[in-house]
Amino acid sequence: MHKIFRFMMLSVMLAALMLGVFVSAAQEERVLVIGHAESTDSYDPARGFTQTTGFVNRVTYQTLVTFPDENASEILPLLATSWEVSDDDLSYTFTLDPNARFASGNPVTAADVVFSINRLKNVKGNPSFLADVIESVVANDDGTVTFKLTRINPAFLNLLCNYAFSITEAAVVIANGGTDAEDAATTDAAGAWLDTNSAGSGPYILESWEPTVSTVLVRNPNYWRDREVYFDRVIVVNIPTPASQKAALEAGDIDLALDLTADQIAELEGNPNVAIARFPANIVHFLLMNQDPEIGGIVSDPRVQKAIRLALDYDGFKELWGGVQPAANLAFGLLGALGEEDALDRDLDAARALLAEAGYPDGFEITLSYPDFSFQGVNMNINAQKIQSDLAEVGIRVTLNTQQLQIGLAEYRAGQQGFAYWFWGPDILDASDFFAFLPGGKVASERTNWNEGPAEIMELIAAAKVETDPEARVEMFAQLQRFNQESGPYAPFIQPAIQTAFRANLQGYIWHPQWLLDVSLLSRSE
Amino acid sequence: MSSTSSTISSIPASASRSTRSTAWGHLRRNPLVGVGLLLVLVWLVLGLLAPLIAPYDPLRQNVSNRMRPPHAEHIMGTDELGRDVFSRVLYGARVTIPAGLMVILFGTVIGTLVGAVAGFIGGWIDETIMRITELFMAFPTIILAMAISAALGPDVRNAIIALVVVWWPNYARLVRGLVLEIKSKEFVEGARAIGATGPYILFRTVLPNCIAPAIVLGTLDVGNAILTFAGLSFLGLGPEPSAADWGRMVSSGVDNLNQWWTWLFAGVGIASVVLGCNFIGDGLRDFLDPRLRKGN
Amino acid sequence: MSFQRYILRRILFVIPVVFGITFFAFFIANAVPADPVTANLPQSALNNPEIVETFRRRWGLDRPPVERYLTYVSNLVQGDLGTSIKTRRPVIDDIRRFLPATMELATFSIVVGISLGVGLGVVSALYRNTVVDYAARVFSLVGVSFPVFLLALIALSIFYVQLGWTSGLGRLDIVLQTRQPPAVTGWYTIDSLLRGDLRTFQSAVSHLILPSLVLGSYVSGIIARITRSSLLEVLGQDYIRTARSKGLRERFVIRRHAMRNAMIPIVTVIGLSYGSLLSGAVLTESIFAWPGIGRYMYQASTSQDFPAIMGVSILIALIFVGVNFVVDILYYFLDPRIRLT
Repeated sequence: MHKIFRFMMLSVMLAALMLGVFVSAAQEERVLVIGHAESTDSYDPARGFTQTTGFVNRVTYQTLVTFPDENASEILPLLATSWEVSDDDLSYTFTLDPNARFASGNPVTAADVVFSINRLKNVKGNPSFLADVIESVVANDDGTVTFKLTRINPAFLNLLCNYAFSITEAAVVIANGGTDAEDAATTDAAGAWLDTNSAGSGPYILESWEPTVSTVLVRNPNYWRDREVYFDRVIVVNIPTPASQKAALEAGDIDLALDLTADQIAELEGNPNVAIARFPANIVHFLLMNQDPEIGGIVSDPRVQKAIRLALDYDGFKELWGGVQPAANLAFGLLGALGEEDALDRDLDAARALLAEAGYPDGFEITLSYPDFSFQGVNMNINAQKIQSDLAEVGIRVTLNTQQLQIGLAEYRAGQQGFAYWFWGPDILDASDFFAFLPGGKVASERTNWNEGPAEIMELIAAAKVETDPEARVEMFAQLQRFNQESGPYAPFIQPAIQTAFRANLQGYIWHPQWLLDVSLLSRSE
Repeated sequence: MSSTSSTISSIPASASRSTRSTAWGHLRRNPLVGVGLLLVLVWLVLGLLAPLIAPYDPLRQNVSNRMRPPHAEHIMGTDELGRDVFSRVLYGARVTIPAGLMVILFGTVIGTLVGAVAGFIGGWIDETIMRITELFMAFPTIILAMAISAALGPDVRNAIIALVVVWWPNYARLVRGLVLEIKSKEFVEGARAIGATGPYILFRTVLPNCIAPAIVLGTLDVGNAILTFAGLSFLGLGPEPSAADWGRMVSSGVDNLNQWWTWLFAGVGIASVVLGCNFIGDGLRDFLDPRLRKGN
Repeated sequence: MSFQRYILRRILFVIPVVFGITFFAFFIANAVPADPVTANLPQSALNNPEIVETFRRRWGLDRPPVERYLTYVSNLVQGDLGTSIKTRRPVIDDIRRFLPATMELATFSIVVGISLGVGLGVVSALYRNTVVDYAARVFSLVGVSFPVFLLALIALSIFYVQLGWTSGLGRLDIVLQTRQPPAVTGWYTIDSLLRGDLRTFQSAVSHLILPSLVLGSYVSGIIARITRSSLLEVLGQDYIRTARSKGLRERFVIRRHAMRNAMIPIVTVIGLSYGSLLSGAVLTESIFAWPGIGRYMYQASTSQDFPAIMGVSILIALIFVGVNFVVDILYYFLDPRIRLT
């Protein structure tokens, strides 16, 4: 009796084991591995504000409205099915999709929206400044919510597409120590939990994050939208060195390498196992010339500023990095940005003439400060050396001052740099981002001491800030860009291409200006 | 480092006994010394004559002709901005070698003075100075130098200052040891007996006896100083980025591993100069170390 | 002085050194004209004074340096090294995570260095002034003269890129890296063997080869020099001549009499080299993307992450003091002439 029982037990266990092997073989997990130089500070939507946070939270959370998959040309519904704007342009009312569900299976309600937005405002995390324009947010009922703004903001819906405005499940966040109260900056304790878990409605769930090692996402089994997601598991491996990313991609260890340099991409060309995608990106590299003569010295002279703009070898920069030459500091690709046909051409004679007119026929000596930094495969060191060599042709003898990023940033922010090289990526995917570079704007006033322009320009700026008609806006911003090109204290010289390499069997890769990439669109050809 | 110091500390007696002619004869019999002298000499000449020999301006860029492997027009190829690597390697000798020498010069002088004062005065001043040197030595060279040149801003002069700051403690400790030894010798007692004052004894009788070993340690260390300077420059803490400098050039290899010509030649420049210095130093050490000579 | 008193004295000596180091590190961290706020907050967030204020309060940056230093020291006394601004983990956890990687590399490197260095040194000394001696000496001098960063690049481009014989950067193949169970010792070679995971073991060894050869060749140069000179010295001593004249076999003389007595300086150099490898080979770890103490320190110092800088400085100081301590004790036993004062 005993023996038979044992035998039966054994066979049952054996059968179960075989079944287990069979099942797991049949449903081989589909895993996507991304190599990335991690920049994450947090995956808490109210606290994280980096590229890594952007593309991870893109698929773990959802926003009320969003952009199309491939660009930022229009506003599409996501958690909200529709919205209404009041006549005074100061209040926005959203109707939520009644089918929307969090990963827990619970419906997305107006209360969750109110909680998420208030928490973003009150936590005072890195992206909280984005919510400064919101005066209040109120739930009218379970399915509708109204935002009141402090001032007219034509780009408010674009703003809401930012992953900082992700909607979190209030009950879950509260259960893990979260709060949206006024004093959330000191009392909210959900940050640590949200760093390794998610409480959203996106197609994936954050399974784990081990800082400097990897981030793991798994498919959300309760995903509410009927968009098919291919990969069961997404692993974002931290590989800080571009050379290692390239090697790992070649070896097939990773499917996608996000941070390769232009030269590494060139080497991968022709590798049958690797595909390459290029997009114009939206980072503008520019020279900054302080308007304050005390700080800027010679380069505070508008004639010198223009001479410098005319002396740069724009074609050479495109040869180095691909991409486009921006006409002004408004990233090409944003609605209203001038194209290359409106950009400056190099003209050394005109530059020399301007220098002579300003009183420097033999040029002058100056120090260029810039951070020791590479961003999206563009090494600022190389550009700085090229600037030095370009300006030498009109007699401007540049000494390069390479700074540690933080040291440089501190000076840059305090407006202490006379002549500097930086880059700028838009916070909001809208032409209004350009205000930063106009007299009185963030970059202009704080970093170049440029507070006042001609009266008609100041009036135009004031009008453009509240104009909501798209066509009128395009015209206004065109004028403002031309003004900066002629008289601004900047020399934007390249908007480099973003170049990404991935395994040839990976499909659906699209670069996006807001969230970098959407892993839920990716699949693998079998 | 400390192995070198322990060898050196046994030098003074023997060094003073040997005459110059036997020293030279001994060094000449060592073929490595000859090779070392030749290497260093070749680089000094190439560096001095760089403006005459170099086929191109080391700073001239040409982005449409970048990253070309060695060929007839550019015998060492071109770099990421289309500059001629050969010309840059030649000019590189003008930066790295003098920088290494400066580090040794200032490090030796400061270290000798501090060490002599510490050893001579003794007491709590000596204790304090020695504890401070220990602090400096407990810190990894590169990290300390990084912090200093980050505080001062990266350029050649600051890199040299940073290296002097990490270099002097070695000499201070060596010289202090020597001073303690010399202080007890008869001639110092004698000078004291005839009424010589402290500073007089320090500068006229004690210090002169420390200078030879400090110079020897310095000579043995030149290669090391050049190497460390190149390391700082490799990390971007030395000459400005466009400068034709060996450490800088090698650092581009991290991104451009496959374009070996952009970094290998400059690296060979560093290695050969340091090797030359170390060949000379090795011969010198061999000659000066009494333990080794006894075996003959 | 008795041995016990000597030990006690050395241990008491550690305390001021550690505090000296904390002060020194704190001074340097504050001398750098960069603000940890700008280092660790995104540009746009800096425009909101409340965000900046929250960050400053969180990291105690709103208090004067002296007070911060005192707070740091009083936490330190309670065994709290603080939290890294960059990794947001307690510094002690970071050290626990990164130190094993450095130890593993340092140990492999020192093994390479000893086997190569002692071998070369002995051969050099036995065949003094012959071609063999010169070849061995040239080799060891090349070892110390070649910049490690150059050697690393050459090794990578030949053995990894061109020939594909070894693995490249990092400690493990990337796919394996994400599937590692919690560490036992933190050494991938040992942990994988304990689990019987041969694939991980193989990958770990394959990644160790190049960096440990690079570091090992540098160390071997130093060891070879010392081995040669101390063996030569011993071989010139009277008792060796006596042993030889007694007709003992040369090999026996070398092994039993000469090597044993030449060991003191060799052991010292090995100890010091191991200590410096343990405190992190910044350049090698950076190039090989080796997640060790050297790279951690490098990253901390470029992002003004002062709790991390201070923590690692203390660790390195302890390693330095520890190694010197061991060497001193060795001296105490091996060389009775040394008078301890």
